[in-house]
Order: sequence, then C-alpha cells, then structure tokens
Amino acid sequence: MRLVDTVIHIRDLRFTWPASHAPCLALPTLDVRRGERLFMHGESGAGKSTLLNLIGGVMLPDSGNIEILGQSLTALSASARDRFRGDHAGFIFQQFNLIPYLSVIGNVLLPCRFSVERTRRTGGSPLAEARRLLDILDLDPRLADRPAASLSVGQQQRVSAARALIGRPELILADEPTSALDPRRQAAFIELLMKEVAASGGTLLFVSHDQRLATLFDRSVELRTP
Amino acid sequence: MKTLFLIALASAWNRRLTLALSALSIALAVVLLIAVTRVRDAAQTSFAQAVAGVDLVAGPQGSPVQLLLHAVFHLGEATDTMRWQSYQTLAADPLVAWSIPLTLGDSHRGFPVLGTTPAFFRHLRYGLQQPLSFSSGEPFNGLFEAVVGAEVAARLGYRTGDMITLRHGSAHLDGHHDDHDHGAEHADMPFRIVGILLPTGTPVDRTVHVSLASLEAIHLNWQGGMPLPGLAISPQLATKFNLTPKTLDAVLIGLHQRTDVFRVQRQIADFTGEALMAILPGLAMDELWQLVGSVERSLQGVAWLVAGAGLAGMAAVILAGLGERRRELAILRSVGAGPRHLVTLLMLEGLTLTAAGLLTGLALVEGASYLFGPWISARLGLDLSTSAFNAAEFRLVASVFATGLLASLLPAWRASRMSLADGLVPRL
Repeated sequence: MRLVDTVIHIRDLRFTWPASHAPCLALPTLDVRRGERLFMHGESGAGKSTLLNLIGGVMLPDSGNIEILGQSLTALSASARDRFRGDHAGFIFQQFNLIPYLSVIGNVLLPCRFSVERTRRTGGSPLAEARRLLDILDLDPRLADRPAASLSVGQQQRVSAARALIGRPELILADEPTSALDPRRQAAFIELLMKEVAASGGTLLFVSHDQRLATLFDRSVELRTP
Repeated sequence: MKTLFLIALASAWNRRLTLALSALSIALAVVLLIAVTRVRDAAQTSFAQAVAGVDLVAGPQGSPVQLLLHAVFHLGEATDTMRWQSYQTLAADPLVAWSIPLTLGDSHRGFPVLGTTPAFFRHLRYGLQQPLSFSSGEPFNGLFEAVVGAEVAARLGYRTGDMITLRHGSAHLDGHHDDHDHGAEHADMPFRIVGILLPTGTPVDRTVHVSLASLEAIHLNWQGGMPLPGLAISPQLATKFNLTPKTLDAVLIGLHQRTDVFRVQRQIADFTGEALMAILPGLAMDELWQLVGSVERSLQGVAWLVAGAGLAGMAAVILAGLGERRRELAILRSVGAGPRHLVTLLMLEGLTLTAAGLLTGLALVEGASYLFGPWISARLGLDLSTSAFNAAEFRLVASVFATGLLASLLPAWRASRMSLADGLVPRL
C-alpha cells in the first residue's frame, strides 16, 4: 500500500550540474505521505530548487531513485514526464509567477490547457472552478479578466495558488512563495494555502530558507548542502 | 496546438511594437524582391513586344545589338548607312511581304524623330500582334506632317493641328540641349501634327514620325550638320526638289512565310553592291537582354541580401525576447508543457511574423502597382500588370517563408535548451 500512501519516495538522490564538479544535491532519503504538509528548509545552495526540478521531472538525477505517486520518474520518457507533471503537480514560485499578458483567469486555467486529467477533475467546468478558487482565495471577482501584470504581489501569489490548485493535483510544490510578502500576510497566505490543499486532498511540499515558518507545518526536514 | 497558438498570439501582442517593426522589415524586403522581379519581367516583355511581327531588321553591316538599339529603340548613333537603291532591291524581293525604311538623326524636345513611310502604321505590330492605332488624326500623307507617339503628346500637351519644329541632331537621354553643341532648330520648316497614336508601351510612344521626304526637305540647305549660310529654302520651294532619300539607317522586314527567314537573311548578307546584314530581332533581343541581365541579377542578389537581413533581424528579435521571457517559458513548463511545446510556440511566432511580413509586402506591392501602375506604364512604358502574382513569385514567397522557418529554428532550439538548463525555477 506504499504506492497509494506515499506521494514522494526518494532514496540516495544525487544531482550534479553538467558544468560543476561537486554535486549540488545529495538526499539520502525522503518520504512524504499523502495529505502531509511538509516544510523543507535549507541554506541557499543546498539544492532546494534542484530538488523541485527533479520532483517535477524536468531534470533527471545522476543516481538514486525518485518515485512520485508510485511512479518512478526515471522510467518515463521526457514527454511522459512533462505530462505526468502537468497531471499531478501544481507549482507556486517565489515571485513573477504569472504570465503577464494573460488575464488572471487565463493564468489560473493554464494547467487545464495542458492536462486533460486536471480538466476532468474540475468536474467539467474549468472556468467555474477557476472562479470558485479565486473566490475562496479572497480575490475580487472583478479582477478575473484584468491582465495579471496589473495585480499587487500579494494578489499575484494568491492567483498562482489558484493555478496550482485547479484540477486537484496530488502534489503542491511551493518554492519560497511568501518571501515577497510582509510577515503578517505570510502566515495568512500559508494558512489559506494549507486549507485549500487539505480541501482538495493534496500534499504540500513547502520550501523556504525562513525557518520561523516551520511551526505552521506538520513536519519539517532540512536539506543539507552536500 | 490551439492553446499554444492563443498563447503565442497573446505573447506577440504583448511585444507588438518590436515584432511589428521586424515584420515590416520582412515586408520591405519582400517588396524589393517582388518589385525587382516584376520590373524585370515587365521590361523583358516590353522589349520583346516592341518588335512583334518584324521578321528581320536589315541595315549596314556592324554589330547586331547596335542595329537593334538604333532601329527599334532609337538609341545610339548610326555607325553607317545603307543606300536607297539597296532598299528598293530588298523591298522588291518576292519573299518580302512588306518593308519599312527608317532614318533617324533629328529630335524634337528630347524625343527622337523617325523618318519612315506610311507603311509603318500599316505593318508594325506590338505586344500580342496588335496594330498601331490613332487616338486622333491619321497617318502622315504629305510633306511637313508629323505623327507623334502617346507619350510625346501627353508630355508636351500636343493635339492634332499643333505646329512643331525639329532639331538637328539626335535626342539625348537626359533631355538636355545645348544649341552650340548639338545642332540647331529647323525653324524654317515647321511640321503640323496630323495624328496622335494610342499608348503601346513600346518606343513608338516616345517617337515623332515623319515621312522620309520631309527629312530630305529640311536638310536641303544643310551640309555637314550646319545650315549653309545665305541659302534659305522655303517649304514651298522644297517641294520642287527631288526628295527621294539617298541613304537609310535600317529597314524592318516582314515576310510572307516566316520559314523563309534564314534564306532572306543569307540573301541580304550576300548582297552585292554594299555590305549589309539582317538580324532576327528575337535573337538580338536575347543577346541584348543578356547584357541587361547581369544588372538585373545583381539587383536580385541585393534584394535577397535585404531579405536575409530582415529574417536575421527577426531571429535576433525573437532571441533577444527569450531573455525576458525566461519566466514565461518556465511557467509554461511547470504546468506541463514540454520542450516540444516551447519549440512549437517559438516557431509559431517566427512563422506568424514571416507570414505577416510576406502578406504585408504582397499587399504593398499590389497596392503600389494598382496606384502607380498607370503612371509607371505612361512614364516608363513598363506594364506591371502583365506579371501579376504568378508561379515564379509563388516560388519566391515560398522560399522566403522557408528561410523564415529556418530562422525561427534557432530561437526555438535555444528556448528548448534554455528551459531545461535553467530548470523550472526562474533565477533572478
């Protein structure tokens, strides 16, 4: 039953950038259970971004095993990994998360444009689901058709959360999503995010260098510089 | 695909100014390419059309191209002349259906004056074997009557009944005259315009036609290019002289049977009495065209260089855009787009730009030839409408499009590489 309950399963993962000699990521073991809200912290250079690339299947490790939802990523072809990422993972980045020339609603709907699976899981109406998510994330419905670039940073982060959540992907990967927000709004954003991840039955992997946020999560792990 | 197209469109709209400029540079290159091709085709057609129906051009022995230039385009000076008796012998040949004697040498306000016979208007054909026709008046009949081409009439505002005088010495291309250098006016013997021809798009439009006898008459009191002092002859007196010309510059010949053309050509070459030759205008025209052709080829080369620069500029614009679009591409990858999607996205952009440039260029060319075609036809005798969009231009457009495809491969390849190397997470 490990296949069902373990969302991320990593053993002896190593990755070295082609141009460098020293590995930039070494992770002996990591298991994340379904529904878990995991905080991962590490110095800059510890390989946080690299890890997200590996989990997203954009890059392949030099060695080690990485399974997402029981599927070994190294066993998939490049285009199958792209499809797998689109179907099962939602990303929230640090800043400049949105495509500036698309409307707010157009940004939220992006994953459905690439993934049939996530369109299906919206219950047939991606547009209605996008509006529902924006509403839950406390965004004025009148903003929906505005260009994404016209929003404040805080609003942009909530739009990208809606984009990550649409179509209920099993895994939400957040990379320093709150670093551009002021401390008071950081906690509010994280709470809102956790609530919605829980509501969609997803698993949250939250990466940050700010250790003070760790208390808000179920569990915290540290990524060490190799 | 539809999604990518919409994203490409929205992204392009976001950068519309740079992209529009880049498309414009492609459009201008296309205009240049097509304009060069069309002017070449029109010139070639107009060259060929100038002597439709003439089987042979006979004249004194010399360079075929020079004879052609002189007899058909009224350019250059005659190097030698042929005797009137030789012409009569040629004209009497049973194989010859008709013949038109030609004499040049005078001009009227920059336009060449052609001395000939009324047979000129009966037998000369232009374009697709169309006969010459008059917009007003009729062929000259007697002395001191002139028939002017359409352009002469339009440029100088002539109507039938107007009086003109001829100037001694041939026309110069720049239209500049200097009384001291280039002879004097035959002011004592003015000509009346009795006919104006319809436009033909051939040198006929730029020519003043008079009878051979009239040319003899105005030169009665001349010797060595200057009027003889103290010897004035009035037009009335001139008619008393024998006005049969002694020499000619060239003869246009039409045969009963085109198949006899080489036989007659040989007869003329073997002519006893003086050294003559006869040329096939089509062949001489090809020879002439080869001279002009190298200019045309270098123009075409330049046009292709401009097109290459336009497309390279487009690739550069797209490449430069990649830097600022790194996040955009990373976001697309994060929601499930693969490298092939990004390649498609950027190829779509490059191809849409190329297509937009091509269409704008074609529209500009068509619009310009619609607006200025009549003017160009009237001023330069080039009929641009004869070479409307054809197979050759389609090949041209297709090769520009193919080059655009190649040019957009570079940014596309870079984008697919870059998003992998940079990873999902945009770096500052």
